[in-house]
Amino acid sequence: MAAVKELGKSLVQPLLAVVIGLLTGALVIAAVGESIVGTYQEMWKGAFGSFYFFTSTLARATPIMLIALGLSLAFRAGVFNLGAEGQMVLGAISATLVAVYLPAPGMIKLVAAILTGMAVGGFWALIPGFMEARFRIPLLISTLLFNYIAVLFASYLVTEPFRDRTGSAALSQTVMLDKSVWLPKLFAGMSVHAGFILAIIAALVLFWVIRYTPFGYEVKMLGQNPLFAQYGGINRIKVMLTGMFASGGLAGLAGTVEVLGAHYRFVDGALTVPNFAWTGLMATLLANSNPIGIIITSILLAAFQTGAMGVERNTDVPLELASVIQAVLILFISAKFSYDWWKKRKTKGGESHGAA
Amino acid sequence: MAYRLEMRDMTKKYGNFIANDKVSFSLAAGEVHAIVGENGAGKTTLMRMLYGMEQPTSGDIVLGDKKVTFRGPEDAIQSGIGMVHQHFMLFGEFTVTENIVIGYEPKQAGFFKRKEAVEKVRLLSEQYRIPIDAQAQVSSCSIGEQQRVEILKVLYQGADIIVLDEPTAVLTPLEVRELLQTIRNLAQSGKSVILITHKLQEVMEVADRITVLRGGKVTGTVSREETNVDDLARLMVGRELQELSERVALERGPLLQVENLTVREKQTLLDQVSFTVHHGEIVGIAGVSGNGQSELLQALSGLRTAGEGSIRLGGKDVTNQSVATIRRTGLAHIPEDRYMWGTAKLESVEENALMGYQRKPEYYRRGIVKREAFRQVVRGWVERFAIKTGSRQLQELAGNLSGGNLQKLIVARELGQETPFLIAAEPTRGVDIGAMEYIHQALIEKRNQGDGILLVSSELSEILALSDRILVMYKGKIAGELARSEATEEKISVLMAGGSVHGSSQRAR
Repeated sequence: MAAVKELGKSLVQPLLAVVIGLLTGALVIAAVGESIVGTYQEMWKGAFGSFYFFTSTLARATPIMLIALGLSLAFRAGVFNLGAEGQMVLGAISATLVAVYLPAPGMIKLVAAILTGMAVGGFWALIPGFMEARFRIPLLISTLLFNYIAVLFASYLVTEPFRDRTGSAALSQTVMLDKSVWLPKLFAGMSVHAGFILAIIAALVLFWVIRYTPFGYEVKMLGQNPLFAQYGGINRIKVMLTGMFASGGLAGLAGTVEVLGAHYRFVDGALTVPNFAWTGLMATLLANSNPIGIIITSILLAAFQTGAMGVERNTDVPLELASVIQAVLILFISAKFSYDWWKKRKTKGGESHGAA
Repeated sequence: MAYRLEMRDMTKKYGNFIANDKVSFSLAAGEVHAIVGENGAGKTTLMRMLYGMEQPTSGDIVLGDKKVTFRGPEDAIQSGIGMVHQHFMLFGEFTVTENIVIGYEPKQAGFFKRKEAVEKVRLLSEQYRIPIDAQAQVSSCSIGEQQRVEILKVLYQGADIIVLDEPTAVLTPLEVRELLQTIRNLAQSGKSVILITHKLQEVMEVADRITVLRGGKVTGTVSREETNVDDLARLMVGRELQELSERVALERGPLLQVENLTVREKQTLLDQVSFTVHHGEIVGIAGVSGNGQSELLQALSGLRTAGEGSIRLGGKDVTNQSVATIRRTGLAHIPEDRYMWGTAKLESVEENALMGYQRKPEYYRRGIVKREAFRQVVRGWVERFAIKTGSRQLQELAGNLSGGNLQKLIVARELGQETPFLIAAEPTRGVDIGAMEYIHQALIEKRNQGDGILLVSSELSEILALSDRILVMYKGKIAGELARSEATEEKISVLMAGGSVHGSSQRAR
């Protein structure tokens, strides 16, 4: 019951942000001179209008959700991991290479690919973690910069050594994966794949970890008051590194299932162009780092994107409508951040009157 | 007798909660009137109404013979009421004079007349015998001097009624004495002073009349001649105070052995400190805060790296071990700043209580924290220490608890660890008398069970009441050691100020 209440509470504010986002979108639609109701109807249809579109939305939500879950763990510990993109791409390329080159039967290859993707993503997140622990290099900056290294390195790998030279070869991409390592689709002919199930499982596991395990408790307390955590005997560096590894691992998994379940090969730019990492960041902020909330916000944000495609297909309103709505969302979420920060400051100042 | 100020039947309601219930209060010219009461008794609310920061639900404020309404502090200042807040509101980069005249600067054609301002401040300082260097920079002034700046500021603004909110909380014993003298001087020159405090000893020294508040109501207004500390305490708490338990004499093996402990950062913060705490002993550390006490506690508990020296706990070397290791070896720790180190304000009482227990075998099985079993324990603490948690009980946010109740929670949590050694740093800072009794009693009981306690406190009365042995810290060193039998407030004060005491066992071990 308490969990449901907490979830409900954490959803009020984001829902408000969504409503305001939609209202702002309405202004844009009106400016283009289209019917507001008609456009939003198209958007709804594009996202949920048929079983096909609905499952496409879920497929798009899958990597967003996994990334968001990873980030939520880091955020709860008070650690800013902005390197999800790099962790995702590096995880994905490693998983692809294992799936292509590991001499083993399909099932083992599939599992090995997934584990490799997670491990490499986690490892890539650990490096900035070590740098923070050892040299006090701010994670905010190092994780952000590590994205460029990872993305460009992966790009090099598929443009040079591992490029598929069998086909028309205009694209930087690896060879097609063998069918035996494909993640199965959930419904024949629909794009949603088993990765979605993995994401849901990940959300439930994370929810459980945060709520019931000592590690979850330590993560939470570290995020709330690092000095208190330290005083209580919590090893800040250990929890931070574990959090970074798990966070990067989930981002790596996001890239991996996208390759194994949707593209079946690593295509340069296929993971970065749709902005999975930054949408994931938004989903986390929108859900206030609540894992169950993230299931909802990821699907919602994915729906804006697939819905906007529907809008572009059938009206004169451009795809950028989704970006406008998302931008407004960011604005309101950051407003909430500064509001919380301000409130915290205020209560801190208020203590001075507590003694009389 | 005509009063300078009367507050009649002041009532302030916040929803259903009555913070002030028909509180009446009067103040004559040249009078020092103290308002005492426990936390949450309504002292602050009453003063906020007087200063225009809150509007009363009902009741009148009468100045001279005129009824007044203050819409904000500016109105109150205009009417000659000045407030010295507990936390100073000064600009550190400005000089003493600039801070005093700010907002009411002597000006000519729009230019600040600095010389005239300095002269005015000098005159004021002489008139009320409040010594201050008018041209010093405030950030280089001591806390006591900064407080004088605040007092001069309200005098400069023309205040006849001066409200001092917990003015001695931050001062050294010597500064306290000077402040009390200043208060007397002010009264002699016709100013009226309202002194808000919970330190009854000081009240008895300086106040003419005392109004006691409890639960938002006045439980008595008495003149100093006809009361004493015990009577006041009874009025405040609403019952007799209990005597502390007897101290049982115990055979005392060494428990904590500190040798030549040194902490350096840019300068030496802790200098070759050596001492021992035995089983069944409370060792008190007295000293003006900032003389190395914090560094000592942090080094002992693993929160700070020791440069040199060794710490042995129960015979085991724990020098520069992790916090978790030291705690496992047998240390619990009531931190000096409960908000900075001791709690997460935005988490529940339960989550705050769980710190340090989350991996204990009793409450941890198959990867899961056994919440229900632990909640039973916390409920036991809440009951034993009479912790008022509010309507949501264990799920109430820690930040919503009053300072005293939060402190009791922390004390309960650390005592609950049942470790042989306990650090108790400022265990009753900002805590009311009722809670203080509980905490002192609990510490004595722990001592009588044969455990060792290192007590650090800036309250000499607390040190004297609890300690078996007293160490005084000055500039990172132990300046002297006094046995319980020979310790007096005077001797400790001298050592705290860097002097030496004839006849004390000066570092004789």
